[in-house]
Amino acid sequence: MGKILVIAEHRDGKLSDGTKELCKVAKEMAEMSGNTAAAAVFSADDAIAKEVSKYIPEVLSGVDAKLAQYTADGYSQAAKSVIEAGDVAGVVISHGYDGVDFAAQVAMSIGAGIVSGINKVEFSDGKFVFTRNIYNGKLQEQRSVKTDKFVVTVEKGAWDKEAAGSEGTITSVDVAVGDVRTTVKEVIETTKGAVDISQAKLIVAGGRGTKDAEKYQATVVALAQKLKGEYGASRAVVDAGWTDHARQIGQSGKTVAPDLYIGLGLSGAIQHVAGMKGAKCIVAVNKDPEAPIFNIATYGIVGDLFEVVPAMIEALDS
Amino acid sequence: MKIVVCVKQVPDMESKFVVVDNKKIDEAQIAFKMNDFDEFAVEAALQIKEKMGGEVIIVSAGPERVVKDIRQAFAMGADWGIHIKDPEIDAGDSTVIASAIHKAIEKIGDADLVLTGVMSEDNQFTLTGVMLSHLMDIPHGTNIVKLEVADEKSITVNRELEGGLNEVIEMSLPAVLSIQSGLNQPRYPTLPGIMKAKKKRLDVMTAADLGLSEVGAAGSKTEFIKMFVPVSEHKAEIIEGDAKTAAAALVNKLKNEAKVI
Repeated sequence: MGKILVIAEHRDGKLSDGTKELCKVAKEMAEMSGNTAAAAVFSADDAIAKEVSKYIPEVLSGVDAKLAQYTADGYSQAAKSVIEAGDVAGVVISHGYDGVDFAAQVAMSIGAGIVSGINKVEFSDGKFVFTRNIYNGKLQEQRSVKTDKFVVTVEKGAWDKEAAGSEGTITSVDVAVGDVRTTVKEVIETTKGAVDISQAKLIVAGGRGTKDAEKYQATVVALAQKLKGEYGASRAVVDAGWTDHARQIGQSGKTVAPDLYIGLGLSGAIQHVAGMKGAKCIVAVNKDPEAPIFNIATYGIVGDLFEVVPAMIEALDS
Repeated sequence: MKIVVCVKQVPDMESKFVVVDNKKIDEAQIAFKMNDFDEFAVEAALQIKEKMGGEVIIVSAGPERVVKDIRQAFAMGADWGIHIKDPEIDAGDSTVIASAIHKAIEKIGDADLVLTGVMSEDNQFTLTGVMLSHLMDIPHGTNIVKLEVADEKSITVNRELEGGLNEVIEMSLPAVLSIQSGLNQPRYPTLPGIMKAKKKRLDVMTAADLGLSEVGAAGSKTEFIKMFVPVSEHKAEIIEGDAKTAAAALVNKLKNEAKVI
Protein backbone atom coordinates (compact mmCIF):
# COMPACT_ATOMS: atom_id res chain seq x y z
CA MET A 1 0.00 0.00 0.00
CA GLY A 2 1.21 3.43 -0.89
CA LYS A 3 -0.13 6.78 -1.90
CA ILE A 4 -0.99 7.80 -5.42
CA LEU A 5 -0.05 11.41 -4.86
CA VAL A 6 -1.57 14.31 -6.80
CA ILE A 7 0.44 17.54 -6.87
CA ALA A 8 -2.21 20.27 -6.89
CA GLU A 9 -1.97 23.12 -9.38
CA HIS A 10 -3.25 26.59 -8.49
CA ARG A 11 -2.75 30.23 -9.40
CA ASP A 12 -3.98 33.43 -7.76
CA GLY A 13 -5.84 31.51 -5.06
CA LYS A 14 -7.78 29.44 -7.58
CA LEU A 15 -7.50 25.67 -7.90
CA SER A 16 -7.13 24.52 -11.53
CA ASP A 17 -9.70 22.29 -13.22
CA GLY A 18 -6.79 20.04 -14.13
CA THR A 19 -6.28 19.27 -10.43
CA LYS A 20 -9.88 18.07 -10.13
CA GLU A 21 -9.18 15.74 -13.05
CA LEU A 22 -6.02 14.52 -11.28
CA CYS A 23 -8.11 13.65 -8.19
CA LYS A 24 -10.31 11.50 -10.42
CA VAL A 25 -7.28 9.76 -11.95
CA ALA A 26 -5.62 9.16 -8.58
CA LYS A 27 -8.77 7.60 -7.13
CA GLU A 28 -9.15 5.40 -10.20
CA MET A 29 -5.50 4.30 -9.99
CA ALA A 30 -5.72 3.74 -6.23
CA GLU A 31 -8.76 1.54 -6.65
CA MET A 32 -7.32 -0.64 -9.42
CA SER A 33 -4.01 -1.15 -7.62
CA GLY A 34 -5.00 -1.34 -3.95
CA ASN A 35 -3.31 1.94 -3.06
CA THR A 36 -4.77 5.11 -1.54
CA ALA A 37 -5.37 8.48 -3.19
CA ALA A 38 -3.87 11.63 -1.68
CA ALA A 39 -2.88 15.11 -2.79
CA ALA A 40 -0.03 17.43 -1.88
CA VAL A 41 -0.71 21.15 -1.92
CA PHE A 42 2.17 23.63 -1.95
CA SER A 43 1.33 27.19 -1.00
CA ALA A 44 2.05 30.05 1.39
CA ASP A 45 -1.06 29.15 3.45
CA ASP A 46 -3.55 26.26 3.66
CA ALA A 47 -6.57 27.82 1.89
CA ILE A 48 -6.07 25.75 -1.27
CA ALA A 49 -5.47 22.60 0.79
CA LYS A 50 -8.98 23.01 2.24
CA GLU A 51 -10.40 23.35 -1.25
CA VAL A 52 -8.53 20.26 -2.53
CA SER A 53 -9.76 18.15 0.40
CA LYS A 54 -13.26 18.29 -1.10
CA TYR A 55 -12.02 16.19 -4.01
CA ILE A 56 -9.70 13.64 -2.42
CA PRO A 57 -9.75 11.93 1.02
CA GLU A 58 -6.24 12.89 2.20
CA VAL A 59 -4.43 16.17 1.71
CA LEU A 60 -0.83 16.90 2.67
CA SER A 61 -0.33 20.63 3.06
CA GLY A 62 3.18 21.98 2.57
CA VAL A 63 3.32 25.62 3.59
CA ASP A 64 6.32 27.85 2.97
CA ALA A 65 6.67 31.54 2.06
CA LYS A 66 8.78 30.44 -0.93
CA LEU A 67 5.75 28.54 -2.27
CA ALA A 68 3.52 31.63 -2.53
CA GLN A 69 4.04 31.49 -6.27
CA TYR A 70 4.77 28.52 -8.50
CA THR A 71 8.43 27.98 -9.39
CA ALA A 72 9.95 24.78 -10.78
CA ASP A 73 12.61 24.69 -8.06
CA GLY A 74 10.12 25.39 -5.25
CA TYR A 75 7.66 22.74 -6.40
CA SER A 76 10.17 20.02 -7.22
CA GLN A 77 12.02 20.41 -3.91
CA ALA A 78 8.76 20.42 -1.95
CA ALA A 79 7.54 17.37 -3.89
CA LYS A 80 10.81 15.54 -3.23
CA SER A 81 10.58 16.08 0.52
CA VAL A 82 6.94 14.91 0.67
CA ILE A 83 7.67 11.84 -1.46
CA GLU A 84 10.68 10.86 0.63
CA ALA A 85 8.83 11.36 3.92
CA GLY A 86 5.79 9.23 3.18
CA ASP A 87 5.13 5.97 1.44
CA VAL A 88 4.35 7.25 -2.01
CA ALA A 89 3.78 4.76 -4.84
CA GLY A 90 3.65 7.37 -7.55
CA VAL A 91 3.07 11.01 -8.40
CA VAL A 92 0.35 12.42 -10.64
CA ILE A 93 0.87 15.88 -12.16
CA SER A 94 -1.20 17.82 -14.71
CA HIS A 95 0.29 18.02 -18.23
CA GLY A 96 -0.25 21.79 -18.22
CA TYR A 97 2.20 24.69 -18.32
CA ASP A 98 3.35 24.31 -14.71
CA GLY A 99 3.28 20.50 -14.79
CA VAL A 100 5.60 20.14 -17.79
CA ASP A 101 7.87 22.73 -16.17
CA PHE A 102 8.62 20.71 -13.03
CA ALA A 103 7.45 17.07 -13.41
CA ALA A 104 10.69 15.84 -15.02
CA GLN A 105 12.67 17.59 -12.30
CA VAL A 106 10.69 15.68 -9.65
CA ALA A 107 11.24 12.38 -11.49
CA MET A 108 14.98 12.97 -11.85
CA SER A 109 15.40 14.06 -8.24
CA ILE A 110 13.79 10.88 -6.89
CA GLY A 111 15.27 8.63 -9.61
CA ALA A 112 11.87 7.60 -10.94
CA GLY A 113 10.70 6.88 -14.47
CA ILE A 114 8.32 9.42 -15.95
CA VAL A 115 5.57 8.98 -18.54
CA SER A 116 4.12 12.25 -19.82
CA GLY A 117 0.74 13.20 -21.26
CA ILE A 118 -1.10 10.01 -20.32
CA ASN A 119 -4.75 9.69 -21.34
CA LYS A 120 -5.56 6.18 -20.14
CA VAL A 121 -4.29 3.87 -17.42
CA GLU A 122 -4.65 0.14 -16.81
CA PHE A 123 -3.23 -2.11 -14.11
CA SER A 124 -1.93 -5.51 -15.16
CA ASP A 125 0.58 -7.97 -13.68
CA GLY A 126 1.20 -5.67 -10.75
CA LYS A 127 2.09 -2.59 -12.72
CA PHE A 128 0.46 0.39 -14.34
CA VAL A 129 0.30 0.55 -18.12
CA PHE A 130 -0.08 4.10 -19.44
CA THR A 131 -1.45 5.11 -22.83
CA ARG A 132 -0.39 8.39 -24.46
CA ASN A 133 -0.55 10.16 -27.79
CA ILE A 134 2.43 10.22 -30.15
CA TYR A 135 2.91 11.66 -33.65
CA ASN A 136 0.49 14.52 -33.10
CA GLY A 137 -2.24 12.13 -31.96
CA LYS A 138 -2.14 10.05 -35.13
CA LEU A 139 -0.80 7.13 -33.10
CA GLN A 140 -0.74 6.10 -29.46
CA GLU A 141 1.75 4.13 -27.41
CA GLN A 142 1.67 2.18 -24.17
CA ARG A 143 4.50 2.57 -21.71
CA SER A 144 5.22 1.53 -18.14
CA VAL A 145 7.91 2.51 -15.67
CA LYS A 146 10.69 0.22 -14.46
CA THR A 147 11.43 2.02 -11.19
CA ASP A 148 9.74 1.49 -7.80
CA LYS A 149 8.02 4.86 -7.93
CA PHE A 150 6.56 6.55 -10.99
CA VAL A 151 5.78 10.08 -12.10
CA VAL A 152 3.10 10.74 -14.71
CA THR A 153 1.69 13.90 -16.24
CA VAL A 154 -1.95 13.65 -17.26
CA GLU A 155 -3.36 15.03 -20.51
CA LYS A 156 -5.87 17.80 -19.78
CA GLY A 157 -9.47 16.83 -20.36
CA ALA A 158 -8.74 13.10 -20.70
CA TRP A 159 -10.60 12.46 -17.43
CA ASP A 160 -13.70 14.18 -16.09
CA LYS A 161 -13.40 16.49 -13.13
CA GLU A 162 -13.97 14.86 -9.75
CA ALA A 163 -17.13 16.20 -8.10
CA ALA A 164 -16.78 18.13 -4.84
CA GLY A 165 -17.73 16.32 -1.63
CA SER A 166 -17.27 17.17 2.03
CA GLU A 167 -13.85 18.24 3.28
CA GLY A 168 -11.41 15.41 4.01
CA THR A 169 -8.40 15.33 6.32
CA ILE A 170 -5.57 17.81 5.99
CA THR A 171 -2.15 17.05 7.44
CA SER A 172 0.65 19.58 7.61
CA VAL A 173 3.93 18.34 6.18
CA ASP A 174 7.40 19.79 6.32
CA VAL A 175 8.71 20.94 2.99
CA ALA A 176 12.38 21.65 2.59
CA VAL A 177 12.62 24.42 0.02
CA GLY A 178 16.13 25.73 -0.42
CA ASP A 179 17.51 27.76 -3.28
CA VAL A 180 14.97 28.93 -5.90
CA ARG A 181 16.95 29.90 -8.98
CA THR A 182 14.23 31.68 -10.96
CA THR A 183 12.56 34.97 -10.00
CA VAL A 184 9.02 35.69 -11.13
CA LYS A 185 8.87 39.37 -12.14
CA GLU A 186 5.21 39.61 -13.19
CA VAL A 187 2.37 37.88 -15.01
CA ILE A 188 1.14 39.76 -18.08
CA GLU A 189 -1.92 39.44 -20.28
CA THR A 190 -0.82 39.29 -23.91
CA THR A 191 -4.24 39.84 -25.49
CA LYS A 192 -5.45 42.74 -23.35
CA GLY A 193 -7.88 45.09 -25.10
CA ALA A 194 -8.13 42.85 -28.17
CA VAL A 195 -11.24 41.16 -29.60
CA ASP A 196 -12.81 38.53 -27.31
CA ILE A 197 -14.18 35.54 -29.23
CA SER A 198 -14.80 33.43 -26.11
CA GLN A 199 -18.56 34.17 -26.01
CA ALA A 200 -19.22 33.87 -29.77
CA LYS A 201 -22.13 31.61 -30.81
CA LEU A 202 -20.63 30.75 -34.17
CA ILE A 203 -16.94 30.42 -34.95
CA VAL A 204 -15.10 29.52 -38.16
CA ALA A 205 -11.50 28.58 -37.38
CA GLY A 206 -8.59 27.97 -39.73
CA GLY A 207 -5.47 25.86 -39.42
CA ARG A 208 -2.21 25.43 -41.30
CA GLY A 209 -4.19 23.99 -44.24
CA THR A 210 -5.50 27.46 -45.09
CA LYS A 211 -2.03 27.99 -46.64
CA ASP A 212 -1.35 31.75 -46.28
CA ALA A 213 -2.67 35.05 -44.89
CA GLU A 214 -4.58 35.92 -48.06
CA LYS A 215 -6.22 32.51 -48.38
CA TYR A 216 -7.06 32.50 -44.66
CA GLN A 217 -8.96 35.79 -45.27
CA ALA A 218 -10.65 34.45 -48.40
CA THR A 219 -11.88 31.26 -46.72
CA VAL A 220 -12.07 31.46 -42.90
CA VAL A 221 -12.86 35.15 -42.54
CA ALA A 222 -15.22 35.19 -45.55
CA LEU A 223 -17.25 32.23 -44.30
CA ALA A 224 -17.40 33.66 -40.77
CA GLN A 225 -18.73 36.95 -42.14
CA LYS A 226 -21.25 35.15 -44.34
CA LEU A 227 -22.54 33.29 -41.26
CA LYS A 228 -22.39 36.45 -39.11
CA GLY A 229 -19.98 34.74 -36.71
CA GLU A 230 -16.45 35.22 -35.45
CA TYR A 231 -13.25 33.80 -36.89
CA GLY A 232 -10.49 32.03 -35.02
CA ALA A 233 -7.28 30.12 -35.63
CA SER A 234 -4.94 27.37 -34.54
CA ARG A 235 -1.54 28.17 -33.08
CA ALA A 236 0.27 27.62 -36.40
CA VAL A 237 -1.82 30.34 -38.10
CA VAL A 238 -1.12 32.83 -35.30
CA ASP A 239 2.60 31.95 -35.24
CA ALA A 240 2.74 32.63 -38.98
CA GLY A 241 1.13 36.03 -38.40
CA TRP A 242 -1.99 35.43 -40.56
CA THR A 243 -4.21 36.69 -37.72
CA ASP A 244 -3.97 38.10 -34.17
CA HIS A 245 -3.05 36.15 -31.05
CA ALA A 246 -6.43 37.12 -29.53
CA ARG A 247 -8.09 34.83 -32.09
CA GLN A 248 -6.05 31.76 -31.12
CA ILE A 249 -8.19 28.91 -29.81
CA GLY A 250 -6.69 26.28 -27.52
CA GLN A 251 -4.63 25.72 -24.42
CA SER A 252 -2.53 28.86 -24.82
CA GLY A 253 -5.37 30.90 -26.31
CA LYS A 254 -9.11 31.21 -25.87
CA THR A 255 -11.54 28.55 -24.69
CA VAL A 256 -14.73 28.73 -26.75
CA ALA A 257 -18.05 26.88 -26.66
CA PRO A 258 -20.12 28.10 -29.62
CA ASP A 259 -23.29 26.46 -30.95
CA LEU A 260 -21.46 25.93 -34.24
CA TYR A 261 -17.72 25.58 -34.76
CA ILE A 262 -16.37 25.05 -38.27
CA GLY A 263 -12.73 23.97 -38.50
CA LEU A 264 -11.04 24.46 -41.88
CA GLY A 265 -7.69 22.83 -42.67
CA LEU A 266 -7.22 22.06 -38.98
CA SER A 267 -5.77 18.73 -37.87
CA GLY A 268 -7.26 18.91 -34.39
CA ALA A 269 -4.10 18.80 -32.26
CA ILE A 270 -4.87 18.15 -28.61
CA GLN A 271 -3.83 21.68 -27.58
CA HIS A 272 -6.39 23.16 -29.99
CA VAL A 273 -9.15 20.69 -29.14
CA ALA A 274 -8.74 21.61 -25.44
CA GLY A 275 -10.10 25.04 -26.35
CA MET A 276 -13.09 24.09 -28.51
CA LYS A 277 -14.39 20.66 -27.58
CA GLY A 278 -17.29 22.29 -25.69
CA ALA A 279 -18.85 23.40 -29.02
CA LYS A 280 -22.32 21.95 -29.57
CA CYS A 281 -21.93 21.20 -33.26
CA ILE A 282 -18.47 20.73 -34.79
CA VAL A 283 -17.84 20.70 -38.55
CA ALA A 284 -14.48 19.67 -39.96
CA VAL A 285 -13.21 20.19 -43.50
CA ASN A 286 -9.83 18.58 -44.09
CA LYS A 287 -8.16 16.74 -46.94
CA ASP A 288 -6.57 14.19 -44.58
CA PRO A 289 -9.20 11.55 -43.67
CA GLU A 290 -7.05 10.54 -40.68
CA ALA A 291 -6.93 14.03 -39.13
CA PRO A 292 -7.84 13.64 -35.42
CA ILE A 293 -10.46 16.41 -35.74
CA PHE A 294 -12.81 13.91 -37.42
CA ASN A 295 -12.87 11.99 -34.12
CA ILE A 296 -14.66 14.85 -32.37
CA ALA A 297 -16.59 16.42 -35.26
CA THR A 298 -20.35 16.07 -35.76
CA TYR A 299 -20.11 16.47 -39.55
CA GLY A 300 -17.05 16.10 -41.72
CA ILE A 301 -16.09 16.71 -45.32
CA VAL A 302 -12.92 15.04 -46.54
CA GLY A 303 -11.87 17.40 -49.30
CA ASP A 304 -10.13 20.54 -50.47
CA LEU A 305 -11.30 23.48 -48.36
CA PHE A 306 -10.57 25.86 -51.25
CA GLU A 307 -13.33 24.11 -53.22
CA VAL A 308 -15.66 23.35 -50.31
CA VAL A 309 -15.77 26.84 -48.75
CA PRO A 310 -16.79 28.74 -51.94
CA ALA A 311 -19.43 26.04 -52.53
CA MET A 312 -20.73 26.51 -48.97
CA ILE A 313 -20.95 30.29 -49.47
CA GLU A 314 -22.80 29.66 -52.72
CA ALA A 315 -25.21 27.23 -51.02
CA LEU A 316 -25.85 29.79 -48.26
CA ASP A 317 -26.68 32.42 -50.90
CA SER A 318 -29.30 30.30 -52.61
CA MET B 1 27.95 33.57 -25.68
CA LYS B 2 28.28 29.90 -26.34
CA ILE B 3 24.84 28.59 -27.22
CA VAL B 4 24.00 24.92 -27.70
CA VAL B 5 20.80 24.05 -29.58
CA CYS B 6 19.37 20.53 -29.38
CA VAL B 7 17.80 19.59 -32.68
CA LYS B 8 15.74 16.52 -33.47
CA GLN B 9 14.75 15.13 -36.81
CA VAL B 10 11.09 14.01 -36.89
CA PRO B 11 8.64 12.73 -39.49
CA ASP B 12 6.58 15.26 -41.38
CA MET B 13 3.27 14.87 -39.57
CA GLU B 14 1.39 14.83 -42.90
CA SER B 15 3.18 11.61 -43.84
CA LYS B 16 1.30 8.34 -44.05
CA PHE B 17 1.86 6.48 -40.78
CA VAL B 18 1.92 2.70 -40.96
CA VAL B 19 2.69 0.78 -37.78
CA VAL B 20 4.84 -2.35 -38.17
CA ASP B 21 4.32 -5.18 -35.62
CA ASN B 22 2.99 -2.68 -33.04
CA LYS B 23 6.63 -1.67 -32.56
CA LYS B 24 7.64 1.08 -34.96
CA ILE B 25 6.51 3.12 -37.93
CA ASP B 26 7.36 2.14 -41.48
CA GLU B 27 10.03 4.70 -42.36
CA ALA B 28 9.80 3.95 -46.07
CA GLN B 29 6.62 6.04 -46.20
CA ILE B 30 7.95 8.92 -44.12
CA ALA B 31 9.50 12.24 -45.12
CA PHE B 32 11.79 13.59 -42.38
CA LYS B 33 12.33 17.22 -41.37
CA MET B 34 13.59 19.30 -38.45
CA ASN B 35 11.22 19.36 -35.47
CA ASP B 36 9.20 22.61 -35.82
CA PHE B 37 9.94 23.83 -32.29
CA ASP B 38 13.68 23.30 -32.82
CA GLU B 39 13.65 25.65 -35.82
CA PHE B 40 12.45 28.42 -33.51
CA ALA B 41 15.22 27.47 -31.05
CA VAL B 42 17.91 27.66 -33.77
CA GLU B 43 16.61 31.07 -34.87
CA ALA B 44 16.56 32.33 -31.26
CA ALA B 45 20.19 31.22 -30.82
CA LEU B 46 21.27 32.89 -34.06
CA GLN B 47 19.62 36.16 -33.01
CA ILE B 48 21.45 36.12 -29.66
CA LYS B 49 24.73 35.42 -31.44
CA GLU B 50 24.13 38.34 -33.82
CA LYS B 51 23.55 40.64 -30.87
CA MET B 52 26.17 39.39 -28.41
CA GLY B 53 28.71 37.52 -30.52
CA GLY B 54 29.80 33.96 -29.77
CA GLU B 55 28.96 30.65 -31.40
CA VAL B 56 25.99 28.38 -31.98
CA ILE B 57 26.56 24.64 -31.69
CA ILE B 58 24.04 22.01 -32.77
CA VAL B 59 23.63 18.69 -30.95
CA SER B 60 21.44 16.03 -32.52
CA ALA B 61 20.96 12.32 -31.89
CA GLY B 62 19.82 9.80 -34.46
CA PRO B 63 20.87 7.68 -37.44
CA GLU B 64 22.71 8.91 -40.55
CA ARG B 65 19.58 10.60 -41.96
CA VAL B 66 19.66 13.32 -39.25
CA VAL B 67 22.78 14.85 -40.85
CA LYS B 68 20.44 16.51 -43.37
CA ASP B 69 18.79 18.56 -40.65
CA ILE B 70 22.00 19.31 -38.75
CA ARG B 71 23.30 20.76 -42.05
CA GLN B 72 20.01 22.64 -42.35
CA ALA B 73 20.76 24.35 -39.02
CA PHE B 74 24.34 25.01 -40.28
CA ALA B 75 22.86 26.59 -43.42
CA MET B 76 20.72 28.86 -41.24
CA GLY B 77 23.96 30.03 -39.59
CA ALA B 78 24.95 27.63 -36.78
CA ASP B 79 28.72 27.19 -36.50
CA TRP B 80 29.39 23.51 -35.85
CA GLY B 81 27.83 20.47 -34.26
CA ILE B 82 27.90 17.06 -32.64
CA HIS B 83 26.04 14.14 -34.16
CA ILE B 84 25.30 11.53 -31.48
CA LYS B 85 25.16 8.42 -33.61
CA ASP B 86 24.53 5.23 -31.71
CA PRO B 87 21.56 2.87 -32.15
CA GLU B 88 21.78 1.94 -28.46
CA ILE B 89 21.22 5.58 -27.51
CA ASP B 90 18.32 5.85 -29.97
CA ALA B 91 16.82 2.74 -28.37
CA GLY B 92 16.72 4.42 -24.96
CA ASP B 93 14.01 6.56 -23.40
CA SER B 94 14.15 10.27 -22.50
CA THR B 95 16.55 9.60 -19.62
CA VAL B 96 19.08 8.03 -22.00
CA ILE B 97 18.73 10.78 -24.63
CA ALA B 98 19.02 13.55 -22.01
CA SER B 99 22.10 11.85 -20.52
CA ALA B 100 23.74 11.54 -23.95
CA ILE B 101 23.05 15.19 -24.80
CA HIS B 102 24.36 16.18 -21.35
CA LYS B 103 27.65 14.37 -22.05
CA ALA B 104 27.90 16.01 -25.47
CA ILE B 105 27.39 19.44 -23.90
CA GLU B 106 30.16 18.63 -21.39
CA LYS B 107 32.44 17.80 -24.33
CA ILE B 108 31.62 21.18 -25.88
CA GLY B 109 32.37 22.84 -22.54
CA ASP B 110 31.38 26.20 -21.03
CA ALA B 111 27.92 26.51 -22.59
CA ASP B 112 26.19 29.73 -21.50
CA LEU B 113 22.79 28.75 -22.80
CA VAL B 114 21.15 25.51 -23.96
CA LEU B 115 18.03 25.70 -26.10
CA THR B 116 15.64 22.88 -27.00
CA GLY B 117 12.25 22.86 -28.66
CA VAL B 118 9.44 22.55 -26.09
CA MET B 119 8.72 19.04 -27.38
CA SER B 120 9.37 16.77 -30.32
CA GLU B 121 6.43 16.27 -32.63
CA ASP B 122 6.99 12.52 -32.76
CA ASN B 123 7.31 11.35 -29.13
CA GLN B 124 5.69 14.45 -27.57
CA PHE B 125 7.45 13.76 -24.27
CA THR B 126 8.14 17.42 -23.32
CA LEU B 127 10.88 16.14 -20.98
CA THR B 128 14.36 16.49 -22.46
CA GLY B 129 14.97 20.17 -21.64
CA VAL B 130 13.98 19.87 -17.99
CA MET B 131 15.96 16.63 -17.59
CA LEU B 132 19.03 18.33 -19.09
CA SER B 133 18.78 21.23 -16.64
CA HIS B 134 18.63 18.74 -13.78
CA LEU B 135 21.67 16.84 -15.03
CA MET B 136 23.59 20.08 -15.57
CA ASP B 137 22.37 21.45 -12.22
CA ILE B 138 21.35 24.79 -13.75
CA PRO B 139 17.97 26.64 -13.86
CA HIS B 140 15.48 26.23 -16.69
CA GLY B 141 12.37 27.69 -18.25
CA THR B 142 9.83 25.92 -20.46
CA ASN B 143 7.34 27.07 -23.11
CA ILE B 144 9.41 30.21 -23.71
CA VAL B 145 7.72 32.71 -26.03
CA LYS B 146 10.08 35.67 -25.53
CA LEU B 147 13.66 35.98 -24.39
CA GLU B 148 15.99 38.86 -23.71
CA VAL B 149 19.66 38.46 -22.93
CA ALA B 150 20.96 41.66 -21.36
CA ASP B 151 24.45 40.41 -20.51
CA GLU B 152 26.32 37.16 -20.07
CA LYS B 153 25.16 36.73 -16.49
CA SER B 154 21.38 36.54 -16.64
CA ILE B 155 18.36 36.21 -18.89
CA THR B 156 14.73 37.41 -18.77
CA VAL B 157 12.14 35.22 -20.47
CA ASN B 158 8.38 34.98 -20.91
CA ARG B 159 6.97 31.58 -20.00
CA GLU B 160 3.64 30.89 -21.68
CA LEU B 161 0.64 30.14 -19.43
CA GLU B 162 -3.00 29.28 -20.13
CA GLY B 163 -5.39 31.73 -21.76
CA GLY B 164 -2.95 34.25 -23.21
CA LEU B 165 -1.03 34.88 -19.97
CA ASN B 166 2.77 35.09 -19.81
CA GLU B 167 4.93 34.79 -16.71
CA VAL B 168 8.02 36.99 -16.91
CA ILE B 169 10.90 35.26 -15.13
CA GLU B 170 14.56 36.00 -14.60
CA MET B 171 17.35 33.51 -14.05
CA SER B 172 21.12 33.42 -14.01
CA LEU B 173 23.16 31.85 -16.79
CA PRO B 174 23.96 29.17 -17.71
CA ALA B 175 20.39 27.94 -18.14
CA VAL B 176 18.29 25.60 -20.28
CA LEU B 177 15.28 27.02 -22.12
CA SER B 178 12.69 25.01 -24.01
CA ILE B 179 11.33 27.11 -26.83
CA GLN B 180 7.67 27.34 -27.84
CA SER B 181 6.68 28.13 -31.42
CA GLY B 182 5.89 31.70 -32.47
CA LEU B 183 8.84 33.22 -30.60
CA ASN B 184 10.33 34.44 -33.90
CA GLN B 185 10.15 33.77 -37.63
CA PRO B 186 12.83 31.16 -38.43
CA ARG B 187 14.98 32.25 -41.37
CA TYR B 188 15.34 30.31 -44.59
CA PRO B 189 18.88 29.25 -45.44
CA THR B 190 20.49 31.34 -48.18
CA LEU B 191 22.38 29.75 -51.09
CA PRO B 192 25.79 30.87 -49.71
CA GLY B 193 24.62 29.52 -46.35
CA ILE B 194 23.88 26.14 -47.88
CA MET B 195 27.29 26.08 -49.59
CA LYS B 196 29.11 26.94 -46.34
CA ALA B 197 27.09 24.38 -44.37
CA LYS B 198 28.65 21.51 -46.31
CA LYS B 199 32.11 22.35 -44.95
CA LYS B 200 31.22 23.05 -41.33
CA ARG B 201 32.62 20.82 -38.58
CA LEU B 202 30.42 17.94 -37.52
CA ASP B 203 31.81 15.57 -34.86
CA VAL B 204 30.27 12.12 -34.70
CA MET B 205 30.09 10.50 -31.26
CA THR B 206 28.94 7.14 -29.92
CA ALA B 207 28.00 6.21 -26.35
CA ALA B 208 31.60 5.05 -25.84
CA ASP B 209 32.98 8.38 -27.12
CA LEU B 210 30.68 10.20 -24.72
CA GLY B 211 31.62 7.96 -21.78
CA LEU B 212 28.04 6.80 -21.39
CA SER B 213 27.79 3.25 -20.07
CA GLU B 214 24.07 2.77 -19.49
CA VAL B 215 22.22 3.05 -22.78
CA GLY B 216 19.31 1.30 -24.51
CA ALA B 217 16.97 -0.60 -22.21
CA ALA B 218 19.58 -0.71 -19.41
CA GLY B 219 19.69 3.07 -19.07
CA SER B 220 15.95 3.58 -19.51
CA LYS B 221 13.60 4.12 -16.62
CA THR B 222 10.49 3.45 -18.70
CA GLU B 223 9.58 0.56 -20.92
CA PHE B 224 7.90 0.90 -24.31
CA ILE B 225 5.17 -1.74 -24.68
CA LYS B 226 3.52 -1.10 -28.03
CA MET B 227 2.21 1.50 -30.48
CA PHE B 228 -1.00 1.46 -32.45
CA VAL B 229 -3.54 3.50 -34.38
CA PRO B 230 -6.05 4.84 -31.84
CA VAL B 231 -9.60 3.61 -32.13
CA SER B 232 -12.03 6.46 -31.70
CA GLU B 233 -15.40 5.80 -30.10
CA HIS B 234 -16.81 8.67 -32.08
CA LYS B 235 -16.51 9.32 -35.80
CA ALA B 236 -17.89 12.32 -37.65
CA GLU B 237 -20.74 11.76 -40.07
CA ILE B 238 -18.76 12.12 -43.28
CA ILE B 239 -20.68 13.92 -46.00
CA GLU B 240 -19.76 12.36 -49.33
CA GLY B 241 -19.79 13.73 -52.85
CA ASP B 242 -17.88 16.36 -54.83
CA ALA B 243 -17.22 19.72 -53.18
CA LYS B 244 -20.43 21.29 -54.49
CA THR B 245 -22.72 18.38 -53.52
CA ALA B 246 -21.10 17.93 -50.09
CA ALA B 247 -21.17 21.66 -49.31
CA ALA B 248 -24.88 21.92 -50.20
CA ALA B 249 -25.71 18.83 -48.12
CA LEU B 250 -23.71 20.22 -45.17
CA VAL B 251 -25.50 23.59 -45.29
CA ASN B 252 -28.82 21.73 -45.41
CA LYS B 253 -27.89 19.63 -42.36
CA LEU B 254 -26.72 22.67 -40.39
CA LYS B 255 -30.02 24.43 -41.16
CA ASN B 256 -32.51 21.58 -40.78
CA GLU B 257 -30.89 18.82 -38.70
CA ALA B 258 -28.54 20.56 -36.23
CA LYS B 259 -30.49 23.83 -36.53
CA VAL B 260 -27.41 25.95 -35.84
CA ILE B 261 -27.65 28.41 -38.74
